[in-house]
Amino acid sequence: MAVLPLVAGRELSSPPSDGISNLRFSNHSDHLLVSSWDKRVRLYDASANVLRGEFMHGGPVLDCCFHDDSSGFSAGADNTVRRLIFNLGKEDILGRHDAPVRCIEYSYATGQVITGSWDKTLKCWDPRGASGQERTLVGTYTQPERVYSLSLYGNRLVVATAGRHVNVYDLRNMSQPEQRRESSLKYQTRCVRCYPNGTGYALSSVEGRVAMEFFDLSDSGQSKKYAFKCHRKSEAGRDIVYPVNAIAFHPIYGTFATGGCDGYVNVWDGNNKKRLYQYSKYPTSIAALSFSRDGRLLAVASSYTFEEGDKPHEPDAIFLRSVNEVEVKPKPKAYPTPAS
Amino acid sequence: MSKVPNDPLLQVETTCGSLLYELQIIWDEVGESETERDKMLLELERECLEVYRRKVDQANRCRAQLRQAIADAEADLAAICSAMGERPVHIRQPDQSLGSLKEELRAILPQLEEMQKRKCDRRNQFVEILEQIQKISNEIHMYSEYTLSRTIVDETDLSLRKLEELNRELQALQKEKSDRVKHVLDLLNTLNSLCLVLGIDFKETVIEVHPSLGNDYEGTKNMSNETIEQLTTAIQRLREIKIKRMQRLQDLATSMLELWNLMDTPIEEQQMFQNVTCNIAASEHEIMEPNMLSVEFINQVEAEVSRLDELKASKMKELVLKKRTELEEICRKTHLIPESDSVVEVAIEAIESGAVDPACVLEQIELQIAKVKEEAFSRKEILEKVEKWLAACDEECWLEEYNRDENRYNAGRGAHLTLKRAEKARALVGKLPGMVEALASKTTAWENERGIEFSYDGIRLLSMLEEYTILRQEKEEERKRQRDQKKLQGQLMAEQEALFGSKPSPMKLQNGKKGPRLSTGGASTRRLSVGGTMLQTPKADPHSIKSTPNTRQAKKSDRLLHPIEQLKHPRDDACPALSAGGRDSDVAGLPLRNHSLNAVNAREVESPMRRKPFSPISSTESSKSHAITNVMNDLNRKQNEMLQKTLKGNNSQFSTPSKILSAGEEENWTPKAMPIHMPPTPSTVSVPMQTVMTPAHPPIPYNRVEETPEEIEYSFEEKRAGFVLPRTTHLKTPIQV
Repeated sequence: MAVLPLVAGRELSSPPSDGISNLRFSNHSDHLLVSSWDKRVRLYDASANVLRGEFMHGGPVLDCCFHDDSSGFSAGADNTVRRLIFNLGKEDILGRHDAPVRCIEYSYATGQVITGSWDKTLKCWDPRGASGQERTLVGTYTQPERVYSLSLYGNRLVVATAGRHVNVYDLRNMSQPEQRRESSLKYQTRCVRCYPNGTGYALSSVEGRVAMEFFDLSDSGQSKKYAFKCHRKSEAGRDIVYPVNAIAFHPIYGTFATGGCDGYVNVWDGNNKKRLYQYSKYPTSIAALSFSRDGRLLAVASSYTFEEGDKPHEPDAIFLRSVNEVEVKPKPKAYPTPAS
Repeated sequence: MSKVPNDPLLQVETTCGSLLYELQIIWDEVGESETERDKMLLELERECLEVYRRKVDQANRCRAQLRQAIADAEADLAAICSAMGERPVHIRQPDQSLGSLKEELRAILPQLEEMQKRKCDRRNQFVEILEQIQKISNEIHMYSEYTLSRTIVDETDLSLRKLEELNRELQALQKEKSDRVKHVLDLLNTLNSLCLVLGIDFKETVIEVHPSLGNDYEGTKNMSNETIEQLTTAIQRLREIKIKRMQRLQDLATSMLELWNLMDTPIEEQQMFQNVTCNIAASEHEIMEPNMLSVEFINQVEAEVSRLDELKASKMKELVLKKRTELEEICRKTHLIPESDSVVEVAIEAIESGAVDPACVLEQIELQIAKVKEEAFSRKEILEKVEKWLAACDEECWLEEYNRDENRYNAGRGAHLTLKRAEKARALVGKLPGMVEALASKTTAWENERGIEFSYDGIRLLSMLEEYTILRQEKEEERKRQRDQKKLQGQLMAEQEALFGSKPSPMKLQNGKKGPRLSTGGASTRRLSVGGTMLQTPKADPHSIKSTPNTRQAKKSDRLLHPIEQLKHPRDDACPALSAGGRDSDVAGLPLRNHSLNAVNAREVESPMRRKPFSPISSTESSKSHAITNVMNDLNRKQNEMLQKTLKGNNSQFSTPSKILSAGEEENWTPKAMPIHMPPTPSTVSVPMQTVMTPAHPPIPYNRVEETPEEIEYSFEEKRAGFVLPRTTHLKTPIQV
């Protein structure tokens, strides 16, 4: 097969120097917040391709999120949750977990920061009372296992942990999970993301599979769920299976992109059960994905995710792809539907 | 001397005679000798002569001096006259004697004075002119040392002729000066206009040549040859730049026009650069507009061109994509299978990278479109027939459904319309076999003519028809069997009636039998919805709705219909047998359990030697070769189990999972990783919803915890961070906050 020149999109200058743990577009601009294993959080202006700011932490940063355009939050492997103020270059500590903090989300519905940690707890923080841990900590909620991924939609919080547990919470009543589930997939969960319409969530595993789940527990609701295989390579009759590290939903069309350790980014139409697009292969594993607020840009973190331990690998890079409508717009079914 | 009549002389003579007489008397008295007397007298006479001679000499000398003075004055006069180029006023005739020498001298002196005065005047005139000449030539030639040397007037020639000469020289110089000034001004004007066009600072350029040129006021500008030369070279230089820039601009304008034409750029957008394009064929001297060729302006134009270029690239991509969708649309309409997506993806990527000319790709796609259109034309007739057939099938399907509705004769709203439709449908169904036959023969003829298969959405139409025919036959048989059975039942019922005098509701019987008889899952789903159980709205399962008469038999044909579809979906109620099979194959994949959890690693997945645990995945998947993923079957099965069991076991959380364990035991390897005592969460008891309704059950096999102190499952991040789960935490009883 002829090797085509890689058209991966524009590459951001001054990328992180070690593994990218997450990246997110702002809800208000084309600013991009990136956390990485080189102990830094970076803020880029994606449209201008400029590094706007940089925060140095005490340990690798495992996740980050925006508060608004002038501040954000980071979750560190040094057990610490921090608040970052971009224009002042200032940071303060919201509090600590007993183990590295794996993931962080900011809830616009409750104005709280939610963190999940390998200490098997979920913690909610009030970033406004930034005066000592006893003020900021709203609550601690024990999880069955180490928290691996979080996703929010409105007042719904989906927590995916080790041991394939999935807990669904209502943020207004955190004392009990609203639903306790087990992942439909048989292998370790990598990522969980709520649908933009709030009816369910997509969950990916290390074994090249994505499950589409629904919150509605009725039979008809549950009958809609399904799982599909992706990020695999068939070689000599065998499937080589890659972990699916990232899921990102398109904010307008509700279609979604997945990124795997095979270096591919695929775009899917969950309703019509179709693959819409496959971008050309990136240099190394896809560590994180994020659509910009209008869905016109897709940030792709091509960064080795340590799936094969410490080994030489391609340099970490962030690619910005301007998204064509054709790539993400759901396609109507192309066959007639007799017997309607 | 004797003749002197005047008294003094006379007196002197008298005195001399008397003195001589007195002397004679003295001598007589003394008695001097004659010789002595003679000697004395001789001496006296000699002395007297001496005195005379002296006086005469003196007078003579005085006369000579006078003559000299006159001669000098005359000579001066003559010199002045000659210097002034005038005839001498006074020329003395040698014979003409004006009188004594003194008179003569008196007459000549005033003349001399006047001449001297005139000479002085003349000299001043000379100095003046010379100074002017000096000044002008200084301006022209820039010799400062000249100043001193030239103002010394040549005293020997102060003639009017010379003056005239100098005057002419001055005039010539003045003319030259004005010429030069004009020349310089001309050059400056040219330079100015060039600077304007090129957007260069005029003053700066000029001051660079000579500081004086920068002055705003006239007259003091330097105009030496050197300056003029420098100005000329500056102009030359700027002109060269201008020509170069003009060519650049014209190049840009040309490409701009091309891009406009290509993209139909709106006039408003063009207007901004109209002044550029109107100069596209202008020659150098025609471009006079200020800043027309300035660097900024050219950059601006360049930016516009590159913007248009980019636009063109994206437009091209759009155009290609548009054409592509057009192609797809045509394909869709004619039920052809378009070429795989990868082709256009490759094309788009190639365009993006610039490897391929978009125009070329466009041409190719257009060619394809033309080809497909041509084919579509040939298919049209058959396709129309296919549409009719499919519509008839729809009606048939509807009719079947309708016939099954016990309430169909209820007089509701619109019932008459449905009746009418049923009537029509029956007529149509009657015509169906003929329709199929005609279509088949037409298709065969088409295929024979062209030597290719007639495909409909990727499936051979003939096979579709064949399948339909078989299906129909089967249905026919079924119907026959049913009729027989009904007859039998009728007899039975009659017997029963004879015995007990009552009749069982025919509805119940019908219901009981109909379920298993239905061949398609889709129909049964619909049945449910018709039955009003509200469990499934018709929309809930779009795929069941989709099931068609020609595919209603099985998923085999379903798969045929949607070969493009990658995502398979479960049909929960469709084939329990298959789901059971899926479960079995999951069980087959069990060796996985004995592996450490690290086996999930992609490395191991990739290496064929150690990939054993994963091999069942591919083999089981391929063995199934149908639309349902085993995961989904699993899920459904579990869900069903759970629902039943939890309903039975209500809120006793412990009993539920332990029952499931037998099923989950074999495949649920994950829990081994967590030797955690699941906390008995009493709070869940109070909220039965959570335990009852969640399909997922607590996945921790409590009994196994002690037995399997195996490795703990870690994510990549945990491994990288070197995070190890502390054992102590297991003993902690987690507190729910």
